[in-house]
Amino acid sequence: MKNNNAIIYVVDDDASVCRALGLLLKSHGFKVETFTSAAGFLAFKHPKVLSCLVSDIRLPNINGFALQEEMAQRGIITPIIFITGYGNIPMSVKAMKAGAIDFLSKPFTSKELLGAITLALSKSKVLNKKQAEIQKIKQRIDTLSPRELEVFHFVAQGLMNKNIASKRGTSLQTIKIHRGRVMQKMQAKTVTELIGFAQKAGFPLSSD
Amino acid sequence: MKKKIIAGKKKTIKKPLLKKITRNNLEELVSELTDELNIRKKQLKQSAVRGKHEKEKFRGEVIRGGVREKQGADREKQGENRERLAQEQIHIRTKAMESTFDGIFIIDALKPDFPIIYANPSFYELTGFSKNEVIGKNYFLLYGVVDNLHGIEEIKQALLQGRPFQGEMLNSKKDGKKFWSLLRISLVRDNNGTVTHYVGNKTDTTLMKQRNLEIEVQREELLHVTRVGKLAEFVSSLAHEISQPLTAILSYAQAAQRMLKDREPQLQEILQYIINDDQRASEVIRRLRYLLKKSKPTLETLDINVLIKDTITLMMPHIIAKNKVIKFESDSKLPHIQGDRIQLQQVILNLISNSLEAMESSNDARELLIRTSLKDAETIMVEVKDSGCGIPEKNLNKLFGHFFTNKPDGLGMGLSISRSIVEAHGGHLEAKNNPDRGATFYFTIPVNMKKDQ
Repeated sequence: MKNNNAIIYVVDDDASVCRALGLLLKSHGFKVETFTSAAGFLAFKHPKVLSCLVSDIRLPNINGFALQEEMAQRGIITPIIFITGYGNIPMSVKAMKAGAIDFLSKPFTSKELLGAITLALSKSKVLNKKQAEIQKIKQRIDTLSPRELEVFHFVAQGLMNKNIASKRGTSLQTIKIHRGRVMQKMQAKTVTELIGFAQKAGFPLSSD
Repeated sequence: MKKKIIAGKKKTIKKPLLKKITRNNLEELVSELTDELNIRKKQLKQSAVRGKHEKEKFRGEVIRGGVREKQGADREKQGENRERLAQEQIHIRTKAMESTFDGIFIIDALKPDFPIIYANPSFYELTGFSKNEVIGKNYFLLYGVVDNLHGIEEIKQALLQGRPFQGEMLNSKKDGKKFWSLLRISLVRDNNGTVTHYVGNKTDTTLMKQRNLEIEVQREELLHVTRVGKLAEFVSSLAHEISQPLTAILSYAQAAQRMLKDREPQLQEILQYIINDDQRASEVIRRLRYLLKKSKPTLETLDINVLIKDTITLMMPHIIAKNKVIKFESDSKLPHIQGDRIQLQQVILNLISNSLEAMESSNDARELLIRTSLKDAETIMVEVKDSGCGIPEKNLNKLFGHFFTNKPDGLGMGLSISRSIVEAHGGHLEAKNNPDRGATFYFTIPVNMKKDQ
């Protein structure tokens, strides 16, 4: 397994469980960071590499579910594997609905854990790629002038050039020039591609 | 000697004879009545004899000269009056005895086989025997071999030693049907102190017994459910505590195995043993968890007031035994709720028990108040208020946690289970100290519980 770049985060308030899981994962060649509280994990600066979080659900102060929400808020896209000694079905359903990769009842074997981690890392790869793409789009958007950005918004909403011109109170020709620059700066080959970028960047799509 | 007795007895007759008949003084009355009956019989005889004497004497006097005519007629009239009054009294008492609900029988203690010489209609009804089958028979023979031989021996011993008897027993009717009865036997003595009669008083306690039994069974069931619930929570918490180190051990061993890969085959083997045993323990925990999986609550339409009344009835023996008083102020206009009867009863039972325990140590803290009310259109509120020792401020937050207890033999599960039950019904369970004394536990139950809760 090529685990050289991936980091596995372990959060469990039981120090021994933390240490044991850390040792186990290290023995499989992973880089591991362990935390005994959710706050510790949140305070950590996350490098942009493949990653996965193995977290207990019952944690003091911030529990597993609250941590999951907080990560979504902060844009931490690390996939989560929940582990718990209190496993029950409603709890696992809740965890999975909120986007957890797996829900393991303690104690679990290394095989179960590694299986879940493999899944989580492939998800992480997809998420990282997606995030990198969004990052790239956002960087390109940053190069647009305010006028160009405005035109980009109108185009993304599906407005025709003449509509944009009348809305802006400028000539059709000017709009065409702005639009050409937007396509160029955004490195979009077609309008469809441009609208796709707008979606990924989270532009509001409906007009009015 | 004889004269003296009669003089003494005359005094007794002047006592008010008709008292109000109650179950409690029945025995006393019967024995009194029997006494009176005997005395009156004797007096009547004497009175009649005297009357006859007077009459004869008078006749003689008439023959001799007709001097004392008037005097004699008066005396005769007096005797007749007395006789009529006495007859009346006897009649009323006999009627009274015949109309009591209890089965009454009188045994002649002077005859060697102790025959029954009288039994009232209730006795025949109770036992199913007819008059012919009862009168002249021995009480114990009447029942043949009774289930409780020990009980019979006890009765015999008491009577032989000249003590009254009182005891509850299971009897068979003539047709074999079993019934519970309270038997009380009192002794009737003559003036020498010799026991002349036994008066038996038999009360049918079958219905009372059945009701008590039903209550006891219900209470036991509820307590069982509560115990199982507590055990389930306890095992679940225990399972969690144990699963932590088991997880660590398993991971340590598997990490070591991985690190020693292709080396140290003996150590590898030992590590495998550790892993196997860890998994064996894990399997036990997994199976325990599976066994104790909570059963789904069964929802039905409930009147919370009825539910509380039922629970109070179940707890009544404990409340009385602890010398406490329970008051129930119910809002009769409460809408019905959807809920699990057993689970909600568990909550109420738990809150009442806790309150009783809080008031245990204090003699002047006696009153427990349960109140139902409508908090708003959608929510019912139930309060259980005690006048006990209250809750120390530092414990108010911990009360509902697992394993929190201030009882030496408590598991600390009751309140945590109660809270999870109330929450499963869409409500909240809270506690606060009263401004004056004691604490109040209160919970809400929404009138319309959301389906997905």
